[in-house]
Amino acid sequence: MQLLRSYQLLVTWQALRKKAYLPLMMAVQTLFSLGIVLGYPLLFPTLDRTTIYLIATGAPAISMITVGLVALPQTVGEQKTEGSLAYMRSLPVPRLSYLVADLTVWLGIVIPGVVLGVLVGAWRFGLDLQVSPLVVPAMLMVALTATCVGYALASTLPYMLTVIITQAIVVFVFMFSPLTFLPSKLPAWLETIHSILPIQAMGEVTRGTIAPNEFGLPPGAFLVLAVWCVLGFGVTYAAMTRRG
Amino acid sequence: MLLQIEELTKVYRTGTRANDRISLAVGEGEVFGLLGHNGAGKTTLVNQVVGLLRPTSGTIRIDGRDMIADPGLARRLCSFQAQAQVPIDGLTPRQAIDLLGQLRGSSKLEVRRRRERLVDALDLGEWLDIDAARLSGGVKRLVAFAMAAVSPGRVVMLDEPTNDVDPVRRRLLWRQVRTLADHGAAVLLVTHNVIEAERSVDRLAILDQGRVIAEGTSAELKGRLGAALRLELVLSSDSADAPISPFPGSSVSVGNRLMVGIPMDGAGQAVTWAESLQRAGAIEEFTLGPATLEDVYVALVGGVETGPAELEEARSATAA
Repeated sequence: MQLLRSYQLLVTWQALRKKAYLPLMMAVQTLFSLGIVLGYPLLFPTLDRTTIYLIATGAPAISMITVGLVALPQTVGEQKTEGSLAYMRSLPVPRLSYLVADLTVWLGIVIPGVVLGVLVGAWRFGLDLQVSPLVVPAMLMVALTATCVGYALASTLPYMLTVIITQAIVVFVFMFSPLTFLPSKLPAWLETIHSILPIQAMGEVTRGTIAPNEFGLPPGAFLVLAVWCVLGFGVTYAAMTRRG
Repeated sequence: MLLQIEELTKVYRTGTRANDRISLAVGEGEVFGLLGHNGAGKTTLVNQVVGLLRPTSGTIRIDGRDMIADPGLARRLCSFQAQAQVPIDGLTPRQAIDLLGQLRGSSKLEVRRRRERLVDALDLGEWLDIDAARLSGGVKRLVAFAMAAVSPGRVVMLDEPTNDVDPVRRRLLWRQVRTLADHGAAVLLVTHNVIEAERSVDRLAILDQGRVIAEGTSAELKGRLGAALRLELVLSSDSADAPISPFPGSSVSVGNRLMVGIPMDGAGQAVTWAESLQRAGAIEEFTLGPATLEDVYVALVGGVETGPAELEEARSATAA
């Protein structure tokens, strides 16, 4: 009861704090998606059907990953530095309430970008997407994994290191991750790394549920996401409850 | 005593000893001041009480219960105004105060009634529905205080509550601090504003380099100084050397001012001495008045420097 009541109040608090942030994040995510669906085709002399679908479904995946693994860690890192995270940790409520409430609000920030990304892709390529019924839980899973891992980064690393790592993640996600291309295009060693990291699984789950007629949905991808999600959440919760 | 801290020591991983065997106790209805320079270890102390830091050794008890073993209970029993600004940009003061009151378990109606009373008492009405992002630092500080006071715990800890607050509202705030104690809370007040603390606290401890170097009522501490009066001399700009006091008490120089402790029966001699200095052009003016807590503080703590605890707190904020 206390957990639920404090969760509701903290969601209100965090949503009010981020309400100015939401339109900005949506604009940035839309620009990302536009950039991908308008810019990536310039790299290819001809666009086959698979490439078109990869780009259209890669845009929302990149948008989710960018918010979860870049914007979120930088924001949480700032909160840690300015002392506001310590204040929230000093509130007379279970720390679990705060963490889950903040993750809920971050999901609220991530999800509109996914919808916008899908719409932008469908508009640019004139696609008639027959999305899977699994699309909602799948997108929530991807967004939750991205936010949990992002939170874990920010809550365990010093702020400056978080900033540097998130910058590296941007380059890695845009250039060297199988989101707008298939993993087989990667060198074998990078393909192996991606089979362990959550980014490839995020791409597979995204395209497998947004365009199920074009791409399969490897069950192993959900398992990879679940492991990273639990790991991210556990590390964050431990950092939240740790007394220095 | 409601809040009982015994032999509390905090050594950070870097080896900095921010609190060194601190013992103090605060009773119900009491306002206890914790004074000290920046970095004396004040914030480290309150962060341990509220469960943000784990003490290296020692005990913290509220109403006899071990707060180190149960930091969740510590957070429920303590209201806390942190030194840093509260994260309320995007919220109005009304929303922020109400949310905190409800998070502490009070009903909406109860919170509303208490919020209205606090807003009136602190004269915050004109800002009640303005986004906190547009409020000045001083007003935000008052809102943070109202958040801590709207549904107070049995222990209320206020870390520098008057920073940036205008002089008129400071007085209003001190009155509310007293009201909290009058309603039975044990108030632990962290400040480096000695003059204001003197008027507002029942008892106080002075912290230096992580240790309690003096504790008692303001009168008791002034008694230790051995001087009931203070002679303040404003030195002439052309005077080469500070005059040497003929009195045995302490003598502290701050800028172009020299403060000399004077025993009660030395008032006449002090005025004669000061007049002779003025005639000789060594001083511009002088004032003789009762000794203040600030005199005790300066005599005990001395010069201004950044202590190790502050450096450590800054370091731990940016690290994990």
